[in-house]
Amino acid sequence: MQNHEESGASCEFENWGNFGDEDIMNQQSEIRAEEAQKVPFVADKFQKRCAAVPEPLSALASEYQSGSPILLEKIKMLGEQYAAIRRTRGDGNCFFRSFMFSYLEHILESQDRAEVDRVKANVEECRKTLQSLGYADFTFEDFFALIVVTIIFPKFVIDLSLASELAFLGSYSLSSWKAFFKEMNPPLEVEISQYLTMVSEFINLNVSFCIHILSPDTFGWSVVMFFRFVTSGEIRKRSEFFEPFVLGLTNATVEQFCKSSVEPMGEESDHVHITALSDALSVPIRVVYLDRSSCDTAGVSVNHHDFIPSGNLPKAASGSTEAISPFITLLYRPGHYDILYPK
Amino acid sequence: MVDFGRVQKELQECSRDMEASGIKIAPVSDNLVHLSGTIPGPIGTPYEGGTFHLDIKLPDGYPFEPPKMHFVTKVWHPNISSQSGAICLDILKDQWSPALTLKTALLSVQALLSAPEPDDPQDAVVAQQYLRDYQTFQGTARYWTESFAKTSSLGVEEKVQKLMEMGFPESLVRSALEAVGGDENMALEKLCSS
Repeated sequence: MQNHEESGASCEFENWGNFGDEDIMNQQSEIRAEEAQKVPFVADKFQKRCAAVPEPLSALASEYQSGSPILLEKIKMLGEQYAAIRRTRGDGNCFFRSFMFSYLEHILESQDRAEVDRVKANVEECRKTLQSLGYADFTFEDFFALIVVTIIFPKFVIDLSLASELAFLGSYSLSSWKAFFKEMNPPLEVEISQYLTMVSEFINLNVSFCIHILSPDTFGWSVVMFFRFVTSGEIRKRSEFFEPFVLGLTNATVEQFCKSSVEPMGEESDHVHITALSDALSVPIRVVYLDRSSCDTAGVSVNHHDFIPSGNLPKAASGSTEAISPFITLLYRPGHYDILYPK
Repeated sequence: MVDFGRVQKELQECSRDMEASGIKIAPVSDNLVHLSGTIPGPIGTPYEGGTFHLDIKLPDGYPFEPPKMHFVTKVWHPNISSQSGAICLDILKDQWSPALTLKTALLSVQALLSAPEPDDPQDAVVAQQYLRDYQTFQGTARYWTESFAKTSSLGVEEKVQKLMEMGFPESLVRSALEAVGGDENMALEKLCSS
């Protein structure tokens, strides 16, 4: 990028002139990649860099050993209710990844077919919303197909996302996948090729493409993008409701906000995003806040906020919202979300 | 690996409403990684009447990563390098989203031609001129449009004829035109410098 060598830029800008946008972007992505490697997308128990994961909350406490006493006190209180924390990568997509992982774990444990059917119906609604908002089908259809498969076969996805950090990135051949999955401990219950055939039948694409779309990197991005579409669609559909909240965050219109703060990869999530996603999928979410705020009156307490979806709730009866307790709990520290496990 | 299925759909969709949008995208290579885009200069701007060609390369991570675009046609605009054709536009950088497409990206580039942002320049010289001497900027931009964005309307044979009239041998003229993609002025530059 030496566009203006002879165009007489003054001396003080000479270095800047040679330092083009592309260099800056490359540098940013390098820094991001370097930081990202410190924490996997979703921490797993095979990870050597991390201790057994989910980590006990004491691991969190040791992080703040020389830090604020308020935080230490709050972590201690968290320890009374929560057993463990699972860390996610801090690349701006942590909220969506935490949500997905936590949700799939819930489906796996509860084996709640009704919940699966309910969310599938909501996903279908979201698809219609996007269509009616004028999004081109091909920009989102693959992500939606993938997510439906994901919800039906959560075990596969959790295995895959746990495996992702160990996988040999860039190698998409079936044989290398098989070799890799054999080495996993414990080994996968179902052959990877079986999964891929199921998935490929479902989205009506060839197997090599599925291996690509399900490869760790692409898969992670697809999931995140799915949620960004859903979130954006919900905010736009109910723009009158969201407008005041958006104005409270930025000086933008709802449309601008969606384009600049929801749809681009790596844009962080705020309460507007969480409200929209929770409403769109009708999945309640609890966010526990670990920050330095404290109540003046009765000493320290840990705040949390429950995002309760406005529409069609699982067990009907609006008005008795206190009966609904979120099965997804996320820990918020300014700028980042991790997954919390209740005792 | 680029998602070729999607790129194919994008090309189909774009050619469907080419009449309305005036935006064209065509593959340069067989593998759909290298494309060329064409946008008409917006009406009511110094770029009106011009046809602007862009080079488009799709990175491995497309559509998760933005397409790499630059102008092949020379343009005088604060956010486009007059030397390299590099474009300063947020959606081609950190504001890219897979919800966007090659066509919407080209539409945004076209919108950028209508609404320059001299405070966030790609070309400092052009931006200074835009801010300090708007009349001259408009004149220069229009002149560049006339000189570079309209020559392609001339047939190849006419260009060959014109350049031969300047005293260059036909074989050299043809190879020079071919080397620069049919741009008469760039071919002339090439002929003069060789």
